[in-house]
Amino acid sequence: MKVPMSWLREYVPVTVPTRELAERLVISTCEVDGIETRGVTDVDGNLALFRVGRVLEAAKHPNADRLQLCQVDIGEGDARQIVCGAWNFGAGATVAVALPGAVLPNGLQLEQREVRGQLSDGMILAEDEVGLGTDHAGIMVLENGIEPGTPLVDVLPLTEEVLELETGHNRPDLLAVYGIARDVAALYDLELAPPPGSDPARAADEPVDVQIEDYEGCPRYIGRLFRDAKIQPSPVWLKARLLAAGMRPISNVVDVTNYVMLALGNPLHAFDFAKLAGGRIVVRGAKPGEKLRTLDGVDRDLEPYDLMIADGERSVALAGIMGGEETEIGRETSDILLEAANFEPYTIFRTSERLRLRTEGSNRWEKGVDPYLAEQSAKLATALIVQLADARWTGDTDVHEQLPDRPVVQFRPEKTDAVIGLETPAEQQYAILRRLGLDVNGDVVVPTWRARDVTREIDVVEEVARFRLDEVPARLPTREAMFGRLSKLQRIRRKLQDTLVAFGYVETYSWSLLPDDPDPKASRLQEPLSSEQAVLRTSLLHGLLSSARRNVDAGNEDVALFEVAHVYLPSGEQLPEERLHVGGIAQGGFAAAKGAVEGLYEALGVEPSFEPVDRSAHTPEGWVRALREPDLPGQWGAFELDVEAVADRVPEVVVYEDVITYPPVRQDLAFAVDENVTAGELVAAAQSAAGPELRDMRAFDVYRGEQVGAGRKSIAFSVAFQSPDRTLTDGDAAELRSRIVQVLEQEFGAELRA
Amino acid sequence: VKKRSVTVAAVDVEALEREAQGAVTAAATLDDLEEARVRYLGRKSDLKQALRGVRDRDSGMALNAARERLEASFDARQAELERAQLAQLDEALDVTLPGTRLTRGRLHPLTQLTREIEDIFLGLGYEIIDSREVETVWHNFDALNQPLTHPSRSHRDTFYLDEQTLLRTHTSTGQIRVMESRKPPIYIASLGRVYRRDTPSPRSTPNFHQVEALAVDRNITLADLKGTLMHFFRALFPGDRQVRMRTSFFPFTEPSVEFDVTCFLCAGEGCAFCKHTGWFEMGGAGVVDPAVFENVGYDPEGWSGFAWGLGIDRIAAQRHGIPDIRMFWENDLRVLRQFG
Repeated sequence: MKVPMSWLREYVPVTVPTRELAERLVISTCEVDGIETRGVTDVDGNLALFRVGRVLEAAKHPNADRLQLCQVDIGEGDARQIVCGAWNFGAGATVAVALPGAVLPNGLQLEQREVRGQLSDGMILAEDEVGLGTDHAGIMVLENGIEPGTPLVDVLPLTEEVLELETGHNRPDLLAVYGIARDVAALYDLELAPPPGSDPARAADEPVDVQIEDYEGCPRYIGRLFRDAKIQPSPVWLKARLLAAGMRPISNVVDVTNYVMLALGNPLHAFDFAKLAGGRIVVRGAKPGEKLRTLDGVDRDLEPYDLMIADGERSVALAGIMGGEETEIGRETSDILLEAANFEPYTIFRTSERLRLRTEGSNRWEKGVDPYLAEQSAKLATALIVQLADARWTGDTDVHEQLPDRPVVQFRPEKTDAVIGLETPAEQQYAILRRLGLDVNGDVVVPTWRARDVTREIDVVEEVARFRLDEVPARLPTREAMFGRLSKLQRIRRKLQDTLVAFGYVETYSWSLLPDDPDPKASRLQEPLSSEQAVLRTSLLHGLLSSARRNVDAGNEDVALFEVAHVYLPSGEQLPEERLHVGGIAQGGFAAAKGAVEGLYEALGVEPSFEPVDRSAHTPEGWVRALREPDLPGQWGAFELDVEAVADRVPEVVVYEDVITYPPVRQDLAFAVDENVTAGELVAAAQSAAGPELRDMRAFDVYRGEQVGAGRKSIAFSVAFQSPDRTLTDGDAAELRSRIVQVLEQEFGAELRA
Repeated sequence: VKKRSVTVAAVDVEALEREAQGAVTAAATLDDLEEARVRYLGRKSDLKQALRGVRDRDSGMALNAARERLEASFDARQAELERAQLAQLDEALDVTLPGTRLTRGRLHPLTQLTREIEDIFLGLGYEIIDSREVETVWHNFDALNQPLTHPSRSHRDTFYLDEQTLLRTHTSTGQIRVMESRKPPIYIASLGRVYRRDTPSPRSTPNFHQVEALAVDRNITLADLKGTLMHFFRALFPGDRQVRMRTSFFPFTEPSVEFDVTCFLCAGEGCAFCKHTGWFEMGGAGVVDPAVFENVGYDPEGWSGFAWGLGIDRIAAQRHGIPDIRMFWENDLRVLRQFG
């Protein structure tokens, strides 16, 4: 919301510097995005170089057909000679003049110069040259009677400070200059002018046929009829205000509807009455299959829940969002039906959302506009249409059911103190509330323009609190209980991260969303931003591969990456099953990846087990595999584990085990076996044959060659026998060893080599 | 007793010992010493051969005593020479050469900041909550009192899986889940990934991270919120940070505020970074709206609370001077390795 300060001051006599006002608003009312200074700058006496002039003589330039040579009185005694390219004026016209030295809003500094051999001692101004309009067809002709030499700034809003506000979703009342003025008046305890606009005399009493079929969507519709309107450009003051507020002037009647919306907050619409079939307005839902071409030239497919403004035959506007092209006000329009209605927020929101069509109107309606505001808005618009379009107001109707009462809220001033933690005497609280338009007589009666937002005691408390925010002290809660500790899973997550970092892995973050996922049931977005991010991942591998590729492409060395993040597994229920996973990818092939996984299990004190599946090794909680990716040169391995599943197996505490009193007996054993026998199978069989006294059996070498024969390999194990309660003798060790040798021979045809 | 010269198998023990001791003293290097040791004490040395050939107790004892003395001398000389050699090595050591390089990974800068934040909360006595990211409309909007017309519900702003399921737009969902499952007092910080339908740009990404704190207890006030914010940010950013609250609107808090912290570049003096306000916009906060308590079955007259939150990625980017927030997701080792 852009608020020109001169407009604001029309409603509230605020005199503090704009910057100071902004600082106060920021704390108590809404965000201030900035202060824009528009038009002619007011520095180094620049403004004084803009004056009112009267054209004494105007004739064709002797050396140029398209230029006029003028003598202009600017109150200095002697007239100044000015060359001008416009022809929409002549001798006697009152005009706006900028003198040599003046700096225009576009930065250009004027100087005395010769134009085709004639001195030009200034410039007669067009409205676009001083930011007051967009018209450059001619210069501004001011009303007669202003004394030449009068500072131009006294006559035209030459310079303007504009507050750029970002108002809250709960404060539709602030989407209006008058609404901002009301808050400013309350903040500074200033008098607020009565709301602008009062009805002129009505010229006739024609009936206006308005019918509401959906009172829920449209609680109120004021229709006013105007005859003989002259559609023409708006006067400079109106154009200047619209421009300063960020809207483009179009023509007088349309500008009036926009002006009233900006002034009071109620969006209006004007129809070309002659184009309304039957001269009627019907507010109803769209008919099946109905279409409407809106003002922006787009054909809109409608749904039955879209609220439409229709005439006797068809829809002519998307209620509250945008008018239709056919009934739009044009140059030829002379009869006008003005709509000052009220629409229900969700109705408008739903349609504007579906059509992806957000307008100044829909933006206000979806936040909830006061239905009592329609009448005041109709008054202001009527007065301006009659005045600016020279129209006759000939008909009036106001269709509505019972409008909502003002909310009554029970309010305890001590509740405010309990919420803010700062005492505010009851009388002071009441004074703030009254300034905001709330009546305080025991209960609090809320004004209609805050009826949606202030409905509960806490809402009243907030009204007081926002006035005192900068005085709130800083304290800490008084506690009876403390909980500051990481959960087991959180501690495990940190440990996994730290372990991988110690192994040389660098942590990565990847998008949760992928172009696709190997799992066809993976959760899919309804409306992805792009096809690159459409499906929720069920594995971290895709992200790790992309990161690895990017690093290889960048020529980075020693690539080892990991990620800890959620994956989203199809569950058959509304919500997918989210699991915390850790995944890694690294150069060095399968063994490097497996080493990392073994290290992770070791860090957590969990015994891993690996099952061969295809070319990967599966643990109960995940997998390790060698990667064969054409765009990743060299040997790569990857792994992924379900952290939550591993966490379930992590012991709560580590229990001490005596491995010192009775030292282990160590031996190396090598077995020749067929190629298809795995080290894992041998260890598992040995473990079950030897029992717990086989403390450790680890393969450390695999040999293939003549000595073991074709199709066979020799696997060397380092073996430790140990008992927790006695020293094993050589005999004990020999016994354990022979049990192992026997079982491996029986089950795998293993042949002990050493 | 007069010491007698003992001669065994034509070996003059005393002379041999004297000669050997001389060689020990003369050995200038460990190699010389080793050579002498082989000569005088090795398997083929005269002394060893004499010991093998000994037949009587006296000469045996004499030979052994000589051997022990010699061994002690050799050991002593060896230690001496080794010390000298080490001293020489020390002199030759160029301590400015790099050490053996050990490979070490890195935590992602977002993890580093997340941990810092978690640790501050732990210090303040808060639990850390990780909650699910795919959520029901109830947990993300309805329970948080979000009006049906709030723009954040729009399919333009939020990723939906279906009409009732979405990717959470804030970590407040975790707060609802905790409140639904237990009674106050509650002091939690909910951290994690959130999603908004923003086209990736230097300033926003569709995935990002938030932290939201919630305190529910007896007599919690806006003043407790302000104090908590102040202590939190004094822990996160060094220096005497002040906190400023500005009125705002969030459906789940009333009153709602946005909070600013003294700009960490100019310390409040005003600079281009803080748009000359002296304040850095940090996040949103407020007193928990009674409607939220009703939605989770708490009595709003008996309990009160505050909630506040902020975006982690934005602060990490600003803190490290990272110009484009998307760099956090590109995982380029040249970038990540800068964050030791």
